[in-house]
Amino acid sequence: MRELDTSRTILSPLFKERIQAMHQTKLEVNQVKLAKFGGSYNTDDHGFIPLETSYVPSGEVLFGARRLGFAMKEFFACLPPYIHPQSALAGCWIGYFQSFENVGTDPNWEIPEHIREAWAKYHMHPGYMGMNHMGPDMKIGLDLGWGGLLRKIRYWREFNHPENTDFYDGEEAVVEGTIAMVTHYAEYARKMADESTDPILKRNYLEIADMNEWLIDNPPRTFREACQFLAHFQNIDRSYHGGGALSQIDELLRPYYEADVKSGRLTDEEAVWILASLFYNDTHYSQVGGVSPDGKTDMASRLSYLVLDAMHEIHIPINIAVRVWEGMDDRLLRRAVEYILEDGSGADFSCDKGIVEGYHANGYPKELGRMRAKVGCNWVALPGIEYPLQDVTRFHLVWCFIHAFRDVTASGEKNMDALWAAFCRHVEYQAQILKEGYDLHTERVSIDKPELVLNLFCHGPIERGLNCAEGGVDIRNYNADGIGLATVADSFAAMEQRIFDEGRITWDELAEALEQNWEGKENIRLMFKNIARFGSPRSKAEGWATRIRDVYVAAIKSSPTPKHKVMLIPGLFSHGEIYSYAKELPATPNGRKYEDPISHSSEPDPGFARGIHTFSPSLKSNAVAKVQPGYGNSAPLHLDIDTGLVNKEGGVDAIMALIHSHNQMGGTLINMNCIKKEDILEAHEDPSTHPDLVVRVTGYSAFFASLSKDYRQQVVDRFLSGDGE
Amino acid sequence: MDGRAAHIFNIQRFSVSDGPGTRTTVFFKGCNLRCKWCHNPESFVARPQIEINPDKCIGCGACLAVCPAGAHLVGEGSHSIDRTKCTGCGACADQCFAEALVLVGKTLSVEDIMAEILEDRLLYENSGGGVTFSGGECMLQPEALTELLKACKAEGLHTAVDTAGNVPTEYFEAVAPWTDLFLYDVKAGTPERHKALTGSDNRLITKNLSWLKENGAGILIRIPFIPGENDDTEELRAMAAILHQNGIHEAELLLYHRLGEGKYKALDMDYALNGKASPKKADAEEAVSIFREYGVRVKVM
Repeated sequence: MRELDTSRTILSPLFKERIQAMHQTKLEVNQVKLAKFGGSYNTDDHGFIPLETSYVPSGEVLFGARRLGFAMKEFFACLPPYIHPQSALAGCWIGYFQSFENVGTDPNWEIPEHIREAWAKYHMHPGYMGMNHMGPDMKIGLDLGWGGLLRKIRYWREFNHPENTDFYDGEEAVVEGTIAMVTHYAEYARKMADESTDPILKRNYLEIADMNEWLIDNPPRTFREACQFLAHFQNIDRSYHGGGALSQIDELLRPYYEADVKSGRLTDEEAVWILASLFYNDTHYSQVGGVSPDGKTDMASRLSYLVLDAMHEIHIPINIAVRVWEGMDDRLLRRAVEYILEDGSGADFSCDKGIVEGYHANGYPKELGRMRAKVGCNWVALPGIEYPLQDVTRFHLVWCFIHAFRDVTASGEKNMDALWAAFCRHVEYQAQILKEGYDLHTERVSIDKPELVLNLFCHGPIERGLNCAEGGVDIRNYNADGIGLATVADSFAAMEQRIFDEGRITWDELAEALEQNWEGKENIRLMFKNIARFGSPRSKAEGWATRIRDVYVAAIKSSPTPKHKVMLIPGLFSHGEIYSYAKELPATPNGRKYEDPISHSSEPDPGFARGIHTFSPSLKSNAVAKVQPGYGNSAPLHLDIDTGLVNKEGGVDAIMALIHSHNQMGGTLINMNCIKKEDILEAHEDPSTHPDLVVRVTGYSAFFASLSKDYRQQVVDRFLSGDGE
Repeated sequence: MDGRAAHIFNIQRFSVSDGPGTRTTVFFKGCNLRCKWCHNPESFVARPQIEINPDKCIGCGACLAVCPAGAHLVGEGSHSIDRTKCTGCGACADQCFAEALVLVGKTLSVEDIMAEILEDRLLYENSGGGVTFSGGECMLQPEALTELLKACKAEGLHTAVDTAGNVPTEYFEAVAPWTDLFLYDVKAGTPERHKALTGSDNRLITKNLSWLKENGAGILIRIPFIPGENDDTEELRAMAAILHQNGIHEAELLLYHRLGEGKYKALDMDYALNGKASPKKADAEEAVSIFREYGVRVKVM
């Protein structure tokens, strides 16, 4: 085993207190946000603090690089300076830019009627005008600094001398606004230092002032300056359409860390404090560990461990993934699992095999697949060279089923073959519409809403004068995320078993029961619900799930978008929105009632394990692995494990084995909570009893207390299904 | 039933307490002991049984219509089973979609059980785990057990047999070649106490333990720690002496828990230890020191 310091960082009281103070403030800010948002909010916690701003909205519908850029310049310049007194870094963001401005599209754009109708018919999220959901290469920014980025834009504007300079002007304005923001941070820190009487605080403010003054025009030189630069980026990236991707953070910061340690400028506890400060700033997504592009070198370093230490110490919602791969140094995985058991939640696990082999199946080199880092809630991207438009579509499989069932019921030919054929037709049509919508996106998004922040950190957009979505970066593909797989699989299986195999009920009787939302038909509903559902090994439902996956994947992969020939990559992901995607959704033959939630991502429904199959995490893990779409985009596995099950000798090993097995089976992502049943039930009943309980809702983490009741119920349901209930 | 099928009542995956690594535990139905603390009362008899959960009953009456024995007693807001009439045929459970009535126990072929086991092969490989056959008393179905063990070994899986040991020694002779580890219960030390607690003395059990030891079997001793039943000094010393005499130096002490209480109710059975509090690890300190006197290092679980 190679030499590597994997010890936990022991913090001295000063740094312990500093990090604890940020933790405490985060809880307090969360209470303010809860009050502001009516008691709950179902997103990633993010790091924003709802401070007042002097920004005056334009009152217009804003679109286009130049207009957006100039408004953002003003917005960033007006961001109120904020420094947590115990933080190593300055800055926070206060809310989305589009919450202050009406960011829209050109009113002359029209959506063809058949596309609009189909979007509504399938209740799909078409991805049209979707933003961010790509990965920046932050090394570009760290090498250049804000001043360097500004000069780069001006150089290429001059060099390319385009007739219309809007793109460059907009980019320039964004960087100028950011520089104004950094300048204000420096001034504010200097002022706070002057006012401070506490020598430790005074020194901290002075350091922050010096750091930000330097960063106004220069690239970072130290670990702390690099993190400060990243915090600046987090502020502006998150403000503009909620960008949330950071990078392979351990590799990105390793040169700074190693140089500082070597020169005696930095200790590990200082590094942990600085990282915790960065996490306090915002919950941007990063990855640690993994293997080098050639598949030969483990990238885990001392810094990978410090990232986990920082997460553990501050214990607020943070989004860090550990990359799991065959041949990895298991010590990093062990540490991540240990922290999850201690803290209830922590890192998630990005599974290399499914990502790399899947991406390769699209025709890309495996070497690129290894570089595709987990930098979004469920998704991966090639930093700085890919426009993958992840996580902005929802391909609604359940509505395909509903329309198929109605078609067949009306046709008179009521059998499973006819139902399946109709379902396939609807899947194919929805895929066609998705692709047509993406072509509209391709034509319009770069004109109306260019990625003014993320372009700065990509290889190509500034050099070419092109938004990343229109050839600014070399690789472009679009994602599709299917939803409701288990709901449909269980519906098919229940009909096949109860109507055709057992003859317990007729098609028409079922149709009537569904029409009546099972009113007065509880016994029939239970008859359809209580079959061997998806998740039961070798069940009918499992067979249907793989067939449905196959037809969905084929529909997505069979052709690129018709006009611009962009390839799509299928995933299966529902975010946490299984209630909202069930809005107006009629009862289904899996025993689901009107507007009851659909199934989650590619997962079995909670409570699927019955009879001889008592629930186990491996049962669920196997089921999710079996229905992976297979092209490298995610179909995540969520595990909520009772601490009592594994918090004993061998528990960490058992979870590590489970993670490795899921990776080997071709899974793509694992989100895990290890919490006590009593705690989560108590928190569900009264969230105020556990204000700092952090859970992984899907790919992102959040304070449990901040979630709406529906979302909390979702986590509790998953948890109880893991308890065998 | 031939030796190619087994009566089982549960297949538990991701088990971390039944031998090394992460395991799948196959629970056989049927036992010839009646341990007062048993948390698997559904394992007592080999035949299938109906479990009833009245809270789930929706009062549809389907069970009444199909029960050939007229065993269901349904009244206003109540539902029970006349156990003297019920044959466990399962006709009612087949109609009870509310799952108020559940047929516990199933006869599965060796092939079917193996298919279940092999689902988690990667997990065994990654954890150093394997398969554990438990119960009930899995050794009461020696033919099926042997076939399953052979099949597991053919797949290269680690095998464990969780047994109370109260079966003819020939059964051990049959399964031992295919078993990597016996999880062997020592429930009491003296024959009298063993009989009082389980319905049978421990002479055969002790003899079989000696046979296993003499024949070089892998053995992990597991001792249930039941306050007020087997935790007095005399019994603890007698158990420690058995281990000492057999040259066994390590054992696990399993603290009593109450997870079985609800199952007794669902099967209309009386539970002798109803309401007994679960001990804490600290309560077992004296027991640990007694075993230590006999050269046995005990791990409290």
